[in-house]
Amino acid sequence: MRIFVIGAGQVGSTVVEALHHEHELTLIDLDADRLSTLSYKFDIGTIEGNGASRRTLRDAGIDQADLLIAATSRDEVNIVSSMFAKKLSPETKTIVRTTNVEYLDLWQERELDVDFVISSEVETAHAVSRIIGVPAARQTDVFADGQVQMVEFDVPDAADARVVGIPLREAVIPADSKVASIIRGDRMIVPRGDESILPGDRIIVIGSPNAAREWSLLMVSGDRVLDDVVVVGGGQTGVAIARLLIDQGIKVRIIEAFGPRAREVAEELPEARVFHATGTDPEFLEREKIGTARAAVFAMPEDAKNLYAAALAKMHGVPFTIGIVHDPLSADVFEQAGVDVAVNPRSVTAEEIVRFTHDPRIRQLAMLEGDRFEVLDITVRDESPLCGRPFKELPMTGSLIGAIVRDGEAIFPHGGDELRPGDRAIIFAESSRVQQVERAL
Amino acid sequence: MPTLGVDVRGTLNLVGALVRYFSLAFILPAGVALGYDEPVWPFLAAAAITAAGGWSLERATKGKESVRAREGFLVVALTWLAGALVISLPYLFIEPQLRNPIDAYFESMSGMTTTGASVLTDVESLSHSIAMWRQFSQWLGGMGIIVLALAILPRLRVGGRQLMESEAPGPEIEPLATSIRDTARRLWLLYVGLTGAMILVLSLFAWTGIDESMSFYEAVAHAFTTLPTGGFSTRARSIEDFGAATQWAIALFMVLAGANFALMYRALLRNQWRKAGRDEELRVYLALLALGSVILFSDLAAKGILTGEAAVRHGVFQAVSIMTTTGYASTDFNLWTSLTAMTLVALMFIGGSAGSTGGAIKPVRILLLGRILGRELDQTVHREAVRPIRLNGRVIDERTLRAISVFVLLYLIVFALGSLGLVLESARAGVEVSPFEAISAAATTIGNVGPGFGFLGPMGSFEPFSGLSKSIMIVLMWMGRLELIPIVVLLTRNYWRA
Repeated sequence: MRIFVIGAGQVGSTVVEALHHEHELTLIDLDADRLSTLSYKFDIGTIEGNGASRRTLRDAGIDQADLLIAATSRDEVNIVSSMFAKKLSPETKTIVRTTNVEYLDLWQERELDVDFVISSEVETAHAVSRIIGVPAARQTDVFADGQVQMVEFDVPDAADARVVGIPLREAVIPADSKVASIIRGDRMIVPRGDESILPGDRIIVIGSPNAAREWSLLMVSGDRVLDDVVVVGGGQTGVAIARLLIDQGIKVRIIEAFGPRAREVAEELPEARVFHATGTDPEFLEREKIGTARAAVFAMPEDAKNLYAAALAKMHGVPFTIGIVHDPLSADVFEQAGVDVAVNPRSVTAEEIVRFTHDPRIRQLAMLEGDRFEVLDITVRDESPLCGRPFKELPMTGSLIGAIVRDGEAIFPHGGDELRPGDRAIIFAESSRVQQVERAL
Repeated sequence: MPTLGVDVRGTLNLVGALVRYFSLAFILPAGVALGYDEPVWPFLAAAAITAAGGWSLERATKGKESVRAREGFLVVALTWLAGALVISLPYLFIEPQLRNPIDAYFESMSGMTTTGASVLTDVESLSHSIAMWRQFSQWLGGMGIIVLALAILPRLRVGGRQLMESEAPGPEIEPLATSIRDTARRLWLLYVGLTGAMILVLSLFAWTGIDESMSFYEAVAHAFTTLPTGGFSTRARSIEDFGAATQWAIALFMVLAGANFALMYRALLRNQWRKAGRDEELRVYLALLALGSVILFSDLAAKGILTGEAAVRHGVFQAVSIMTTTGYASTDFNLWTSLTAMTLVALMFIGGSAGSTGGAIKPVRILLLGRILGRELDQTVHREAVRPIRLNGRVIDERTLRAISVFVLLYLIVFALGSLGLVLESARAGVEVSPFEAISAAATTIGNVGPGFGFLGPMGSFEPFSGLSKSIMIVLMWMGRLELIPIVVLLTRNYWRA
């Protein structure tokens, strides 16, 4: 694949390092020194220029590219770069890195013409919740004002045996939801009843918000109940972590040293208990019995502070500590010094970008191979021959109706329900079937 | 003399203009007087004096006006004093029971502030036109004359929000439209609509013979004092004269009058019922009404004072009437038990919702005060805990919270000083007033409720009080209606400084 990477910072260079073997890479950055360092290390093309400039992209031959990864630390640069790339070359897929959760929401609502949006904060939060053992759903798409959600899960080893490891027809699938697809390695499977979900899979589920929550509970083994986590540092990363954990039903305490910020955090997260204090004040830790927490996450902006606070928390009895490190070199220091896990937001982001590059959806799209999948949002015509027939009689293989929206209400169809004219159907289909499906409806 | 920071001239100019427009209010009683063949001249004379007085005040203070937020407090305070004066003119001209200027002023302040306390000893001897004027004065004061002026007068464009905030009950006004003028219009529209609905319902009772003692005249008269949570009645025995159906209907409209009008507007005209139903203040309001009702009727039933439907009806009616600060009586609750008396006095302090026509402290302030208290207790143990206080999921800023604490404290101080003043003055003047009667008098006037206990009970009169006592209560009603702050702030030196 021909891939353009914008930004040669920590995320960009990690991506380059992971992808340069298999793909043809072009790296664009304003800083010539960074570029030359990387070009000596890896066999890649480099262009000194502004990734958000239309001319730079055109001259670099963006129309030849299969994928553009905009990975600078500035959201706007990444979005503009992706926008121009889409304009100049509609076939090119784009991945945008952002620090702003708002862009992530916009993308989920399909308001942003970008194929994937990755937020460092949210990725870090997902990494932390995976480490703690409560993998959270990744929401990738919402329909009908959030009544229908498409969510992805990384299936952990400890997942509930009622759904994992047994054929789907025997599995206890939460009501109002369907497994739309299983991604295993670089294969993507539209599951039939005899297929089963295995640990290590990434699964895509279409369902109601409630069903999505039930699914996330199924992904955690029954006896592992983690009820009390302390997050030290109420910056964007800390808040993203806290929010995800709260969504998983975990009680979260947040410690933030800067008064006005503590107040902001408390306003933003009504369910969290927020303290205006430093995580390095032993008296405070004692008074608030921080030691009783099952785990603590240290998400302050300074690595050294995180390390010190983590060590102090250990002394006070916190059994499990996770440190957020910003300098890649600090990770080893952290783990050497007794912090249980160190998470580097930039490398987590880069990993996820690389993962997307390997994602069959992207890969197959980019390689223009036969079997790709699309999510269709179609309004059923009056004269559709499929109207009025129960779902179980519908002759559609290779596609799956995830949900229908009727008069603004989401319905998760069962075999006996029928399709009516005017319904909005949300369909997961193999691309070779897309036209067939569109014609039928 | 240091320069003033307040534009008194501009303020008086604006007050003059508002007073001038007030003369239009006399059209209604003049019409009633014509219809019943009663003397029209008192109303015409009052209208002429009002128009001339307002006009000359406006003329005398003509010049470059600069009425801003700061002047707003003074405008509102003075307009209400002047308004009560205007209302009292026909009483002075023709009503023998109100010949004494203090009595006339008490009656009109009680009307305009929708209190409903009366110094009359024989309400039923009033002529139709005077009686209707007295009812109408409550209707005018209910939604607020400045809010009305904002809705219809072009002049109040600037500084309107400040004026409305000073006048409208509750910690803050909820905008229903982008401009304050449209908000004022919509509130008045709903107020007029509900009044019309109530007139219709009561008239139907009269025409269909459900209630023999009801008539169109009574329907109008009581709608005029129910929607503003006023409480004046044309009958000496208040609502006792009417049938059970009427009493239930009035109770229902009192509940509506004590609810937040902005919320009702949204529910009724924008179909946001669910959202309105989740409103936290509404829930507290209804829960307190229910609690008060249950205490009253179970005590009535337990002591055998009333039984069956009558116990429930009078219990509910009285709890609603007192808590919404209306002040009607469906029976003489003065003769009930000491538990019911204490409950009713406690209800006097709660009042109707913010944004309603009711007075007193208001459920939303009590709710938020409870949350402030909860937070303080939490923070005595967890010193570093950061806890924003929310209402309906929205964070309330600390300044508003402080204002609420201060308001409640101030309310209690003024109430205590008022009770003390009444006891001392009554002792000096040789009027026999028990401490409980004095407390109920202060609570009922500052809360704009109406009746008290003892000789000032629902079937009694405030007439026996001395002139100075009545003046104290006039001030209490005035301060209570404007929610203290706009008046107390006038007493601070920094208000007047440049």
